[in-house]
Amino acid sequence: MTELFRWLSFIVCVIFLPLLTIGTIRKTKARLQNRIGPPLLQPLFDLTKLYRKGETISDTMSGVFRLTSVTVMADVMILAWLIPWLCFKPWAPEADIFMVIYLFAFARMFTLLAALDAGSAFGAFSASREATLSLLVEPAILLALVALGVFSQSSDLRVIFSLSPHQTFVSSGIWIASGMAIVFSSLVELSRMPVDDPTTHLELTMVHEAMILEASGRNLALIEFAQSLKMSIFFGLATQCFLRALPEFSLIGTYFQAALNIGGIFILAIFVGLLESLTVKLQWRKVPEFVAYILSMSLMAALIAVGSRVIK
Amino acid sequence: MLNNSTICAIAKLCKYCYDNTRETFLQARELLLELPNFEISIIGALAGLLSVAILWGNQKQLKSGIPAALSCLSAVAAIAFLTVTWGKELDWQSRSPFLLGVFPATFKIDDLGRLYLILLSTIVSTVSIFSPGYINHLSGKIHAGQYWICFLLFTFSMFAVVSSADAITFLVAWELMSLASVALVAADHSHQAVQKSAFIYLGATRVASAFLCGGFLWMHALSQSWSFSDWVFTAESSYFPALLILLGVCIKAGIWPFHIWLPYAHPAAPATVSAIMSGFMIKVAVYAFIRILVLGSLNCFWLIAIVFALAAVSAFWGVLFALVQNDLKKLLAYSSIENIGLIFMAIALSLIARLHGLSEVADIAIVAAIFHSWNHGLIKSLLFLSVGSVDAHAHTRDLRDLGGLAKCMPWTMTFFFAGSFAICSIPPLNGFSSKWLLYQSLFQNVIQCSSVIEKGVSLAAICLLSAIGALAVAVFVKAMGVAFLGLARSSLASHAKEADFGMLAGQAILTTLCVALGANTDIVFRLISNSISSCGLKVDHVLSNSLPSELVAILLVGLSAFIYLVALKTSKVRTYKTWDCGFGSLSPKAQVTSDSFAQPLARIFRPFLRYENVSMIEGQDRRHFPEKVTVETRMASILEKRIYLPGLAVIAGLAKWLARLQAGSIHLYLVYVCVTLCLLLLVGMAL
Repeated sequence: MTELFRWLSFIVCVIFLPLLTIGTIRKTKARLQNRIGPPLLQPLFDLTKLYRKGETISDTMSGVFRLTSVTVMADVMILAWLIPWLCFKPWAPEADIFMVIYLFAFARMFTLLAALDAGSAFGAFSASREATLSLLVEPAILLALVALGVFSQSSDLRVIFSLSPHQTFVSSGIWIASGMAIVFSSLVELSRMPVDDPTTHLELTMVHEAMILEASGRNLALIEFAQSLKMSIFFGLATQCFLRALPEFSLIGTYFQAALNIGGIFILAIFVGLLESLTVKLQWRKVPEFVAYILSMSLMAALIAVGSRVIK
Repeated sequence: MLNNSTICAIAKLCKYCYDNTRETFLQARELLLELPNFEISIIGALAGLLSVAILWGNQKQLKSGIPAALSCLSAVAAIAFLTVTWGKELDWQSRSPFLLGVFPATFKIDDLGRLYLILLSTIVSTVSIFSPGYINHLSGKIHAGQYWICFLLFTFSMFAVVSSADAITFLVAWELMSLASVALVAADHSHQAVQKSAFIYLGATRVASAFLCGGFLWMHALSQSWSFSDWVFTAESSYFPALLILLGVCIKAGIWPFHIWLPYAHPAAPATVSAIMSGFMIKVAVYAFIRILVLGSLNCFWLIAIVFALAAVSAFWGVLFALVQNDLKKLLAYSSIENIGLIFMAIALSLIARLHGLSEVADIAIVAAIFHSWNHGLIKSLLFLSVGSVDAHAHTRDLRDLGGLAKCMPWTMTFFFAGSFAICSIPPLNGFSSKWLLYQSLFQNVIQCSSVIEKGVSLAAICLLSAIGALAVAVFVKAMGVAFLGLARSSLASHAKEADFGMLAGQAILTTLCVALGANTDIVFRLISNSISSCGLKVDHVLSNSLPSELVAILLVGLSAFIYLVALKTSKVRTYKTWDCGFGSLSPKAQVTSDSFAQPLARIFRPFLRYENVSMIEGQDRRHFPEKVTVETRMASILEKRIYLPGLAVIAGLAKWLARLQAGSIHLYLVYVCVTLCLLLLVGMAL
């Protein structure tokens, strides 16, 4: 693939994949509830409608609130460029694990501030919960990535996800464990079931939806799109991990790899849809236990990675 | 059109200018080096102090402009002097009448010291710009003349500590520094809380100095020299003095479990003093650690491992306790404990890695430690100054009374936000660059070291660091959000005004530095590793992977501006009330409080925090029509209650018992003198 073609396909993916991912989740849930459900591109129609609407902001707010959607969007776009979540990504500079984690923290910090800006208790309490969730899940995500880093002896995600021809049983174990950890921690990070129910009607119990309660119009469109892009990045990263667990993945042709990559993202979306239909939201106090499972998966990956290095 | 000859002429002109500037610079450098600079600068500084003391010492309503300008100018001059003489080692020894007892005072400035001295001068110059406005607001509470004398003495003594070359000069300057800072903490000594804090801090400094004295005397006995460059900590006999020195250093730095003085001293002191104490004075302890023990190549594994463990505990402990504070300055003090823990972790990691021969890890870690002391120094001074300007204009720094300052203090808010983002190590600001180096050194340690246990410990430390990072985000979002956003929680906060120009300028300079230092990690890494290498510790590794921070910074700003212009600038905005569920207008009381924001996190760490939250709802039909609702949050410091207070009680009891010796009778004292004399004579004969 030429670089120009890569850029074009990347931009198309960045624009449409997030919307389709959300659409797939909604469609899956609808089918399980015996409804036909909205078309797959409904999120796109929603966002364009939101984009055409005017904004209403609270008179309590400072400039931070409107700055947030903009900076979060920019931050997530940079992350989409840096993180190797698609195998046909154009050239990008070094994506250090630790920098990626802290760029996510950048977006989170702005979102939390925006939630506090209106002076409403809905936003503030959800911000408090979001801070708690991030404390629980951040070590798990970082450990999963560090396990991969230790295995490939580099903290650069480009090097970690560069295709190596010989896959062993041990390395498959690491990829799968890390991939699982990334999928489940993304559910916490993106405030989805079983940690938070984005479709509940009660703002008091929500996390992400309550934080953006005051957003409207274009502001809301930007935030929603950034959130769904973040979701695709996480799913894509997890898919990349799972694909690398396949023994002959590096021998497959480039286009087939890309198809598998995108297909994987949709499968994960369907999985999330299933999960959201079949499970109930966890009691708030049970969330640390759920995160403990994720952490133990990352820990397993890290132990295999360290162990394989020691044996060598 | 430009033709060839024009270009040649321009090139010649450029070369001429360059040569001339270079020559002038070199001449100035020679001139400075030839001056008997130390004598002049020391005598100058003392004369300045004396003149301040004589002229203004007794004026309670001192106009702070002149001493502030004086100290700012001398700090800038110091920066200029230090940069011009970069790369040269400057030695100075006092001559005959100016001796410390029988020893000459010896000073040496090398590149390691220079790094710290430039940080000190930067902080002092910005604090001096900030001070006049701040002192004006405190007029009546503190004695301006005394403040400036102690301030100048404090600065001078810190300069002396960092540039001293032998143990005695170091101790004298160290004591001067401690006492001057105690006097500054007690500046507003009419309050009982301030008196208590000053006493606790004084006690901490005494204990620290006692340990240092013990360690220094012991090392003198071992090496027969007072000079730091002669001290080596490789023999087993030197481990015990190393332990004593470490204890002294840890107490001064505020490492767990010796941190308890920090949250007392910082809130009591004026904000400018807290800025210097937190920004630089605790870094003096870091400097002493590096100068004495790291350059003395300490190689006792267990000692270093204990330091690493304590540092990790204090990093976590600090940020955890910062979370539940309501006083902004106390919150910042606990955050200092966290950061000093990170710095000590880096130093300990560097020592252990050097012990195992992993020079790359050791190099990255020691650079991370020094870089993080720089960054934390700048960021923490900035944050303390911002809180100072909040305190001066809203007359409170209690999060329960603040809120909505964004509307009345937009600039202070901008600076406080920048500092908060930097201290949460958000890229592309400077806090991230140094924390990234620490992460990298731990990560390289996982890859390179041979022992499985150490790999595991390093992995755990990486996880701990990320948890600390997430907690720090919660802490500073709480501070920013509760103090500056939302509605004012009291009339104090709603009547606040923006700080004056000097106060804002001081913060603006620090903010600029925070942004600038984050931009390029490679240059700073090379600068720091070169300067350590020139002091005897070989640091020759280059960073294997670089951080695209400039690119990320440019992209973040560019993309944000682009999206703003395209999407948000043109959208129609209507201003309305905050969503209130249709119940009527929200009151400030309906907002989240600092306690309730921290509650879910505090619940998770209940056992550490001794956190209790009791709510009582009373009334006839209490579910639907409560008459009285009380919520009480209790939190106690287990360390203070269970360990320090009983320990102090034992010491106080012993002291009371010993006080019987001091009966007040001259006859008894004569007997003591006689007995001591006889004992000494006996000991002398026996030896």
